[in-house]
Amino acid sequence: MTKRTVDVSIPVGPVHPCWKEPARVKCETRGEFVLSAEVELGYMKKGIERIMRGRPWQEVMFLAERVCGICSVIHNMVFIEALEKISAIAVPERAALLRVIVNELDRMQSHILANFSYCYTIEHETLGMYLLDTREKVMDELERITGARVTCAYIVPGGVRFDLRAEDALHLRASLEALEKDITRYMGMFEHGPLIALRSRGIGILTKDAAQEACAVGPTARASGLPESDRRLRHPTYQKLGFTPVSREEGDNFARIMMRFQEVLQSIALIRTCLDTLPEGPIRGGGIPGEGEVAYSGEAPRGELSYFIRTDAAGRVVEISIQTPSIMNIEACCHYMLKGVASLADVPSTFVSSDPCIACTER
Amino acid sequence: MTVLQSLKNFVRSKSIHVAYVDVGSCNGCDIEVLACLAPRYDIEQYGIFVHNNPREADVLLVIGAYTPGWEGKLEGLWEKIPDPKVAIAIGNCPISGCLFNRPHTLVDPPVAKHIPIAAQVPGCPPRPTEILSAILSVAPTVFKDYEVRK
Amino acid sequence: MREPIYEKDLIAMKYTILESRRHDRMVREIAAEFGIPQNRMRRYLMDCCDMLLLENLPARYEQGKRVQEEAPEPERQLGAHLFTRAVPLLGEDRMLQILDRVKELARGGTPIDQAVRVGKEMIREAITG
Repeated sequence: MTKRTVDVSIPVGPVHPCWKEPARVKCETRGEFVLSAEVELGYMKKGIERIMRGRPWQEVMFLAERVCGICSVIHNMVFIEALEKISAIAVPERAALLRVIVNELDRMQSHILANFSYCYTIEHETLGMYLLDTREKVMDELERITGARVTCAYIVPGGVRFDLRAEDALHLRASLEALEKDITRYMGMFEHGPLIALRSRGIGILTKDAAQEACAVGPTARASGLPESDRRLRHPTYQKLGFTPVSREEGDNFARIMMRFQEVLQSIALIRTCLDTLPEGPIRGGGIPGEGEVAYSGEAPRGELSYFIRTDAAGRVVEISIQTPSIMNIEACCHYMLKGVASLADVPSTFVSSDPCIACTER
Repeated sequence: MTVLQSLKNFVRSKSIHVAYVDVGSCNGCDIEVLACLAPRYDIEQYGIFVHNNPREADVLLVIGAYTPGWEGKLEGLWEKIPDPKVAIAIGNCPISGCLFNRPHTLVDPPVAKHIPIAAQVPGCPPRPTEILSAILSVAPTVFKDYEVRK
Repeated sequence: MREPIYEKDLIAMKYTILESRRHDRMVREIAAEFGIPQNRMRRYLMDCCDMLLLENLPARYEQGKRVQEEAPEPERQLGAHLFTRAVPLLGEDRMLQILDRVKELARGGTPIDQAVRVGKEMIREAITG
């Protein structure tokens, strides 16, 4: 394939001060103007799908959680719900709502972390540190309910592992009050900060058409005006809670970060509704995963996550393939947003604004 | 060792620069390292500065189970760090490969095969406080008896 | 010219990406569509796509197929959108040339199926040639 003549091809990464994970973006530039970007991966390829094949579901469950450490709860949830769908295992009402609570807490911490990364990248460290401190409060609640901070394996076939104690529910409500106050304040800071606007508004624009073409999902797509991309709309428990997604039209870095703030507030409201309607009852239904195959999707913090699973009669996973949201979002970012970014300094911030997770992308 | 050198070593051991590199983990340990920056744990109160630039670092935090993409690159990165330097393995992955070290995997643990590791923090993932105390316990030994070689 | 530093041969890693089940199914489908050997198809994809695009190809392929369903007749059968925008096998100029040729044949009285077959043959040549 022939390459266009360019001034300089600048590699960014794999080790970059602003990036949590290694990836290498090769930007072809003319002056400061970025003409196109190419991404080189392969720094995180562990071959999880290859390891999973032929193993019993009890092992695959923990491997699935470790596809991505940031959004581990949703990987756990989608895998287990896929197994439940295969074997028609029913989940008690209380357990279904507890799953939503934990999933939304996980979404909150992931969104806050993504916004911290963005603020850190545009060198607004004050707001970044505020956000990181707020995230610790969410992590505390997660630990209080599930017993672990990151990979908690809370969701099991037919229910959840631990019940929500009355004092935990009280503590959670109090924390939600504080979190809502904090997040609203930081949202105002982000929205009205003049320097933040200079670095964020109108930069890295992803149009609606481009978002559809690259199959962008999650907050990245919703910031470009595609609210129906939210998989939570098709989840029975969320449907009962009356969930409606939010969306924005601008499609730039600013919109993506604001989108995540809005979703954190939405998650707080969802958890409140869950706590209000939480019925008494058992948290484990029981049931044994059996033979069958299913394709199942859920909404991860970064977008649609789909699993295709085939199991045999003993509950071994014969075939599995995972499609994570970061694949689509990073692709949309590198091949559409980065094209035409006016300055090289905006390359890391635009990349981070799409909330890239290389561990998911390569598995 | 001259008095000047030992004074220099003492002062430098009070201001540690840290870089971290992810060589193929699940990301869980990365975010726990990031959590160390949070005001709650406040890594900077101990004189530790995380900036992720290997050329200025004293301590390298290695996260992950060594994927094929890092072949040759991790060693190159290790050479770029100026002396004196230590590497700390964070999490189970660089120590044993954790649950990625199974048949058909692509990873090649432990990381100690490729670069010298001074300390290990097991856990999947370890808590931020454990990571902090590991860095703090290694910090005084980095500059101990260090002399510039002629 | 000096050799670029840090550059690595990515073929092995790109092949690992194409090994996954979703990718494998997609490669088989495209290869069957044009009658190209699968390994040839894989090699072509590895040459013309970067690693991230390769990872995303199955999703783009599925989305492209949905868009293609609504296209008018010769475009739909040739995959004018699918194989240029969604899965970039061909440049858009080349695809336009092929489309023009197919439409010309159709106007000249050739049955549409046969004209499309000629078009597919031209795409195959563009890939393997």
